[in-house]
Amino acid sequence: MGAHLGRRYLWDAEAEPDPLHMPSFPAHLGMPARQPRVMVASSSQLSDARVPLEQRDFCGHHLLRLLRCQRDNFPVPWGCHALRHAWDSCQHEE
Amino acid sequence: MDLSLTLNTLMLLTLATLSTPILFPLLSNNLKNTPSTITNTVKTSFLISLVPMTIYIYSGTESLIFLWEWKYIMNFKIPISLKMDFYSLTFFPIALFVSWSILQFATWYMASDPYITKFFTYLLFFLIAMLILITANNLFVLFIGWEGVGIMSFLLISWWHGRAEANTAALQAVLYNRVGDIGLILCMAWLASATNTWEIQQLPSPSQTPTLPLLGLILAATGKSAQFGLHPWLPAAMEGPTPVSALLHSSTMVVAGVFLLIRTHPLLNNNQTALSLCLCLGALSTLFAATCALTQNDIKKIIAFSTSSQLGLMMVTIGLNLPELAFLHISTHAFFKAMLFLCSGSIIHSLNGEQDIRKMGGLQKMLPTTTACLTIGNLALMGIPFLAGFYSKDQIIECLNTSYLNTWALILTLLATSFTAVYTIRMTTLVQTGFVRIPPLTPMNENNPAVTSPITRLALGSILAGFLITSYITPVKTPPTTMPLSIKMTALVVTALGIALALEISKMTQTLILTKQTPFSNFSTSLGYFNPLTHRPSMTNLLSGGQNIASHLIDLSWYKMLGPEGLAHLQRAASKTATTLHPGLTKAYLGSFALSIIIILMSMY
Repeated sequence: MGAHLGRRYLWDAEAEPDPLHMPSFPAHLGMPARQPRVMVASSSQLSDARVPLEQRDFCGHHLLRLLRCQRDNFPVPWGCHALRHAWDSCQHEE
Repeated sequence: MDLSLTLNTLMLLTLATLSTPILFPLLSNNLKNTPSTITNTVKTSFLISLVPMTIYIYSGTESLIFLWEWKYIMNFKIPISLKMDFYSLTFFPIALFVSWSILQFATWYMASDPYITKFFTYLLFFLIAMLILITANNLFVLFIGWEGVGIMSFLLISWWHGRAEANTAALQAVLYNRVGDIGLILCMAWLASATNTWEIQQLPSPSQTPTLPLLGLILAATGKSAQFGLHPWLPAAMEGPTPVSALLHSSTMVVAGVFLLIRTHPLLNNNQTALSLCLCLGALSTLFAATCALTQNDIKKIIAFSTSSQLGLMMVTIGLNLPELAFLHISTHAFFKAMLFLCSGSIIHSLNGEQDIRKMGGLQKMLPTTTACLTIGNLALMGIPFLAGFYSKDQIIECLNTSYLNTWALILTLLATSFTAVYTIRMTTLVQTGFVRIPPLTPMNENNPAVTSPITRLALGSILAGFLITSYITPVKTPPTTMPLSIKMTALVVTALGIALALEISKMTQTLILTKQTPFSNFSTSLGYFNPLTHRPSMTNLLSGGQNIASHLIDLSWYKMLGPEGLAHLQRAASKTATTLHPGLTKAYLGSFALSIIIILMSMY
């Protein structure tokens, strides 16, 4: 049925909750304190950089910085580790 | 500077350079090709093609070249257009690099062949057809390339056409590919009728696409990429010379099916039926091929089944909706698989034509460069960390592990990964290590740079390709980053288990105990009983069905029972009855006259 079923029963429940005791949250939990997410990179910037549509998400600004750094450091692939890590971390948090 | 103009010009220049050895001898009386001129042409094309790839990596420039429009009928025009995007710009240098190495190796391998120039010309035709397929923006142009590579595969597999097995193998390749072509033509027909175009740009959205054309595409990929069901031609294709196996049946032609699915991926994008079919078919193919490779004794057949298994893995990646990852695996696989074939070719020639690994051994000391590169290729194939295969294979298995799809496909793929390790280590131990089982006098020689430089070049590619491609190209779909350590290590653990198992089993062979035949070993040795179960019955059923239709249905039924003879039969009953009315006696005729007159008189009154 899926790899996640094995994870639910065998490993920790933080990533996958117990299917017999699924948590339920009220719909507006923490609402006044939660702010709506804001896109840092504008859509015109993303379209100017010709970023693929699937990657125009809330981490787009990290991707734009990474692309610019890769273009500036061109023949050398190891110049942009920090920015790549920042983008990857943002995707991970996503 | 207009980068797209430079891009277009250089890509067309690459294709034009490749066609010069074909065109120039036709235009001049004195100019003749030689193997070295063709090799140098391919090398030049490779160097030229590096520039467009660099332009793409630097600036992300893609372009579309529109060459001519065939105005077939009033409202259906077929533009001959080429697309220079990530896939074609990256695959061109890789295909040309591998082809250059293989052609240089073939100058040594086929040196004793009287028609070596024709061989090289065939390889060049194949390469041009493959590159047309890669750059096609239009299913029509892709079909031209598709058929071109099929025909050249037929001609090259049956290169030694005096051998009956080679001819059978070539026929097998052509017939299985033809069955796949039915699927491609089905899809093209649907596209032409529903959307009035064959352009890749104008493919309809997945929600408007019925599943049938997608099944046609998957059938085409099954035929060309030797997935389970249409796979027997790939091991049989090893009858061809080793450079042919290295170029066609490992790096370039067999990936054409997967490449078709990558190109038409927008159609497949969310169609769960098609994606699940790809996933399950790929998983089944990879496990089946890995199982068959476990008991093979011919070194080329082991590598052929390994190719089939990796193609199944690429199909699994398509089924996971990750075409870029499938393309990454195609690119890295091209390097180490071609190198494995070249190493096997060097070993075969050095042992005077011996292909059985049970009659090789201890070659590490005798052929150091070749065996070192063979080891590197095998490690890359297994997905050992930080070689080329690791970047693509490990990521595929991670994505499979963390996806919410079929656990059955996952288990099959993991099992196939461990089997890969098993047969690879088996090949390595039997060929390179252990006791020497070769005849005492062999033409063993790897002094020739035509042998060592292609192999070492491809070894360098096998080590660096994965690292370079992943450094320069940012992934389009985010790879999964959240997973427990056990999931992350699954591929590595499974491979390590396979290595341990193989080493343990190879120790058992040194105690000289006769192995029992179990059903599993018989299944593996006879390639899953697939060939005898399918080849004869399908042909006999088809032919006898055809004979029944022709003789029983058409001849017997239409012409005899329902046609003229049937009518005659019907008439016979009526005429038998009517004959009694004409006995030839005058009294009977007078009686009939009287009867008619009485009836007329009665009707008047």
